[in-house]
Amino acid sequence: MKNKNNYFGILFQGLSSLGVGLKTTMKEFFTKKITEQYPENRNELQMFDRFRGALTMPHNADNEHHCIACGLCQNACPNGSIRVVSEMVETEDGKKKKQLLRYEYNLGSCMFCQLCTNACPHDAIQFSNEFESAVFDRNKLIRTLNNPGSKVATKKS
Amino acid sequence: MFDFSIVTNWIHQWLLSLMPQGWAIFTECVAVGIGIILLYALLAIILIYMERKVCAAFQCRLGPNRVGPWGCIQVICDVLKMLTKEIFTPKGVDKKLYNLAPYMILLASFLTFACLPISKGLEVLDFNVGVFFLLAASSIGVVGILLAGWSSNNKFSIIGAMRSGAQIISYELSAGMAILTMVVLSGTMQISEIVGMQTNGWLIFTGHIPAFVAFIIYLIAGNAECNRGPFDLPEAESELTAGYHTEYSGMGFGFFYLAEYLNLFIVAAIAATVFLGGWMPLHIPGLDGFNTIMDYIPGFIWYFGKAFFVVFLLMWMRWSFPRLRIDQILSLEWKYLVPISMINLLVMALVVTFGWHF
Amino acid sequence: MMQETLYIAPAELHNKMKQLKEVEHMDYLRSLTGMDWGVATPADEESSSTTSDCAPSTLVGLGVVYHLESTTTGKRICVKTSTTDREHPHLPTVTDLWIGAELPEREVYDFFGIIFTGHPDMRRLFLREDWVGFPLRKDNNPEEENPLRMNNEETIDTTYIYKEKEDGSLVRKERKLFESDEYVINIGPQHPATHGVLRFRASLVGEVINKIDVHCGYIHRGIEKMNESLTYPQTLALTDRLDYLSAMQSRHALCMCIEQAMGVEVSDRVKVIRTIMDELQRIDSHILFFSCLCQDMGATTAFLYGFRDREKILDILEETCGGRLIINYNTIGGVQADLHPNFVKRVKELIPYLRKNIQEYHAIFTGNIIAQSRLKGTGVLSRHDAIAYGATGGTGRASGWACDVRKRIPYAAYDRVDFKEVIYTEGDCFARYMVRLDEIEQSLCIIEQLIDNIPEGNIQEKMKPIIRLPEGSWYTAVESSRGEFGVYLESRGDKTPYRLHYRSTGLPLVAVVDSLTRGAKIADLIAIGGTLDYIVPDIDR
Repeated sequence: MKNKNNYFGILFQGLSSLGVGLKTTMKEFFTKKITEQYPENRNELQMFDRFRGALTMPHNADNEHHCIACGLCQNACPNGSIRVVSEMVETEDGKKKKQLLRYEYNLGSCMFCQLCTNACPHDAIQFSNEFESAVFDRNKLIRTLNNPGSKVATKKS
Repeated sequence: MFDFSIVTNWIHQWLLSLMPQGWAIFTECVAVGIGIILLYALLAIILIYMERKVCAAFQCRLGPNRVGPWGCIQVICDVLKMLTKEIFTPKGVDKKLYNLAPYMILLASFLTFACLPISKGLEVLDFNVGVFFLLAASSIGVVGILLAGWSSNNKFSIIGAMRSGAQIISYELSAGMAILTMVVLSGTMQISEIVGMQTNGWLIFTGHIPAFVAFIIYLIAGNAECNRGPFDLPEAESELTAGYHTEYSGMGFGFFYLAEYLNLFIVAAIAATVFLGGWMPLHIPGLDGFNTIMDYIPGFIWYFGKAFFVVFLLMWMRWSFPRLRIDQILSLEWKYLVPISMINLLVMALVVTFGWHF
Repeated sequence: MMQETLYIAPAELHNKMKQLKEVEHMDYLRSLTGMDWGVATPADEESSSTTSDCAPSTLVGLGVVYHLESTTTGKRICVKTSTTDREHPHLPTVTDLWIGAELPEREVYDFFGIIFTGHPDMRRLFLREDWVGFPLRKDNNPEEENPLRMNNEETIDTTYIYKEKEDGSLVRKERKLFESDEYVINIGPQHPATHGVLRFRASLVGEVINKIDVHCGYIHRGIEKMNESLTYPQTLALTDRLDYLSAMQSRHALCMCIEQAMGVEVSDRVKVIRTIMDELQRIDSHILFFSCLCQDMGATTAFLYGFRDREKILDILEETCGGRLIINYNTIGGVQADLHPNFVKRVKELIPYLRKNIQEYHAIFTGNIIAQSRLKGTGVLSRHDAIAYGATGGTGRASGWACDVRKRIPYAAYDRVDFKEVIYTEGDCFARYMVRLDEIEQSLCIIEQLIDNIPEGNIQEKMKPIIRLPEGSWYTAVESSRGEFGVYLESRGDKTPYRLHYRSTGLPLVAVVDSLTRGAKIADLIAIGGTLDYIVPDIDR
C-alpha cells in the first residue's frame, strides 16, 4: 500500500512541480525583454565613468599635456605596454630638462591594472570610456598618446 | 467547408484530356512530390524561426532580429551558410552508411508527412490502415539515427545513437498506445475518417477523460520521439557535444536539423488530427451562428493553427525543463507511461462499450 | 596570528606527519607548496645531515611547505622539509595520510622535479610530458630549453610509482592507467560542460563511468613563476585572472597577505568595503553557478534568468571598480577608488530584487522533479573524504564540514556581522546546489547589515613608492566563492616575492571527481562537475 502511495505521490508531485516550471516560463514569456539593442542604442548608451577603456593623455585647449616624461608609468607596467620616448632639452634658464617626444601605448597588451595611472605624479594619463577598440591590424593597437606638436603644460595650469 | 477534391479532380480530368492515364498519374505523382518537398522546406523554415523566437521570449530575449524585418530571413541565411560549408568525411567512417543515414531520416519524415490530412480532400496518402502506416513509417527514422551514430567512427556519436535507439523504440510504444486509444474511440484507422468523425466535436472533447490522458501521454511520448528537450539526451550538448550527428557538416547536418524540426511538426500535426479534429472547425453544439462563422475559416488554416498550437506547447515544455537522464527516461516510459496508457486504453474501451462518450 | 612552524628532515617526515595526523588530529591539509631555497653549499650539506630540524635561516635545497589544520581542535601548524639533493631530489609522499596531497605533489614534481616516493601517480600535472627541466627551480630558465613545440602531445597511458631502496636510490615501477581494451572517451579539453579547458579521460562501460583521469594545464600560464619577477603591486593584477569569479576575494587574500607582512593595518572603511565587495562577488559567482548548472543539465531558460540577474551585480561592480570580470579593486593598503555615490542606492535596490528572483530560480529549477531526481543521491562526498581531499567551500559544507574561513579565521569585517554558515549533511549534488543558493541569501544578509554602516576613513593607506617586504613567510586565506583560497608568500627582502604560491580552490575539487563519478553515468559526471563548481584558470594558474 505504501508503495502504491509512493508511486502516485511521486507522479502527482512531479506533475505539479512541472506545472510550476511551466507557469514560471509562461510568466516570463510576457514580461519585458532585457536585450540591449546595440548598436542602435549607441547614442543613449552610457558607460560608467570609471570604466577602463583605453589609456589616454588628455590635452587642454592649447594642445598641452601634463606628462613630464619621468617614465614611472613605464616602470610600473607589468606588461611593457608603455614606452616613453623623451629627449633632453636645455631650457631658457640653462637647466637640462627631459621632454616628451612620443608616448607609445600598446592597447593590445594592456591589462588595465591601473598601475600606470596610480604611478603618475601629475595625472597626465587616464583611462577613457571608449570601448569600440576593434581594428583589423594589430599594429593599429599601438597608439601614440601625445598629440603632434603638443608640449607639456606650464606649472600654473 | 470547401472540398479540395473538386480541385484535384478537375486537375486530374484536365491531365487525362492531354495524355493517357498512366502518364497523367505519373505527372500527378511528380507534382505532389514537389509540392510536399516545397511545403516541407517552407514549414522547416517557419518552425526554426518560430523556435528561435519562442525560446527567446521564454528567456527574456528578443531572438533573431538582425537579418530582414524582425529577423525573418535569418533561417534562409542560415540555410545558405550551411550550403556553402565544406562537406567532409572524417577518417575511418563507414562511407556508405555515413552518407545514407541522413536520407533515411528524411525518408521517414517524408513518408509520415505525406499522411497528414491538411484540408478536406488534400490527403496524399489515405487508406484504411492509415494510422498503422503512419506509426510504421515514423519508426524508420531511428534506423537513420543508429546508422549515423554507428558509421561516424566517433565514441560520442555511438553513445548518442544508442541512447536514441533505446529512447525512440520505448516511446513508440506509449505513443502508439495513445493513438490506439483514439482509434478505439473513433472505430477506424483511416485518417480521413478519423477527421470526419469530429465534425460535431473533437475527439479530445467527446472522449473526455481517457482522451485527455491519451493526449498528454501522446505529447510526452511524441516529444521524446523527436529527441527534443527534456528528452534531448541523444544529442545532449553538455554531455555528448552533438550526439549522433557530431561528425556531419554542411547539408548532412542540415538534413538532421531539418528532419528534427519536421518531426516536431509531424508529431504536433498528428496530435491535431487525432485529438483536435484535424481541419475541422471548432463547433459548439447549439450555437449555430458561431458554427457557421467558424465554417467560413478554411480547413487548412484550422489545421495549421492547431498544429502550431501543439508545436507551441511542445516548445514550452522544451524550454522549461532540464534534461532527463537515460535511466530516468526509461523508467518514466516503462514504469509510468506504459502502464498508464494501457489502463487508459482499457478505460476507453469501457467508455466506448457502454457509450459513455459524447 | 602566529602559527607554529616545524622543520622536519625528509627521513623522519612520514613518521612525524603520521603522528601529527593521528595524535594531533591534523586531518586537513590546507596547502602544499613546493619551494626552492637555493643551491646548497658544502657547509649547508653538512649541517643538514647532522641536525634533524634545521633552522629557517639555513633552510636550503628543494623542499615542501605543508600547512595543516585540525578540524576538531582548530589548531594550525606549518611544516617545512627540504632535501639538498638537486640531481635526484626525493621526499616521502603524504598521499597515504591526506589523499588530497596527490595533485599538489604532482604539481611540485612538475615544477621542482621533487619525486615523492610512494606516490601512486608520479606524472607531470600542468606541463607537457615532453617539457624539459623544472621551471620553478631558481637555476632553471624555462624558455631556453623549451621552444614552442608544434607537434601534438602524446597521451601516455602509463604512470610511475617510485620506491626508495635501502641505499637511498630510487626504483621505478610502471602502472597502467587504462587497459588497451577499455572504452576511453575524452571529455574535454574542448567540451561544453567542463567550464573551460579541462580534460577528463573517462573509461566507460556502456553509460557507466568506470574511472576518470584528470588532465590539467591547458590554461596554465605560469602565474607563480611570473610572480617571482613582478613587483608586489604588479602581482596583484594577476590574481583577478585566477578564479575569475572570485577575483575580488583572491585579490583580497593577496593584499591581506602583503599587508600582514608589512605590518599595515587598513582602515575600518576599507575592511567594510572589502567585505561588501567580496559578498557581491560571491553572489555573482553563485548565480553563475546556478546558471551553468542549469545549462549543463539542459535547462537553458534558467541559465538566462541567472545571467539576467548577474548583470545587475556586474553593473554595480563596474560602476565602482571600473571592471566587470577583471575588477582590479583592492590595492595594498586599501582600495583603488572610493565607493561610487550611487553604490549604496543600487545595492539597496539589488537586495529585494535578488530575493524575489531567487524564488523564481526555486520555481523553475530547484523544485523541478527532473532536477531533483538527477541531483539527489548522485555524487555523494562524505565528510571524511571532503576533509581528506581538502574540498572546501560549498562542496565541503554540503558534506557537513564547517570549513568557512570567514568563521574559522575571521578577517576584514566578518567578525562584526551576523550570518549563518550554511551546512548540509547529505553531501550529494543537491546539497551542493542548495548550499550555494542558501549562501546567496546569507551574503545578502551580510551586505544588508553593512551597507548602512560603512564607517568613514581612509580608503588607501600611505605606501612607499617601492614596496619591499621583510624576510619571512606568510600564509593568508580567505573564503573565496568556492572555498579556501590561500596565499603563501615567502620574501627575502626584495621588491619581488621569492615565492608566491596560491592554494587553488579548484584543485581539490577536481581531485574528488574520480571518486565521485565511479559507477555514475555520463550525465551524472556533468551534474557532479557542475555542482563541484570548479574554475579551470584557478586550477591551472
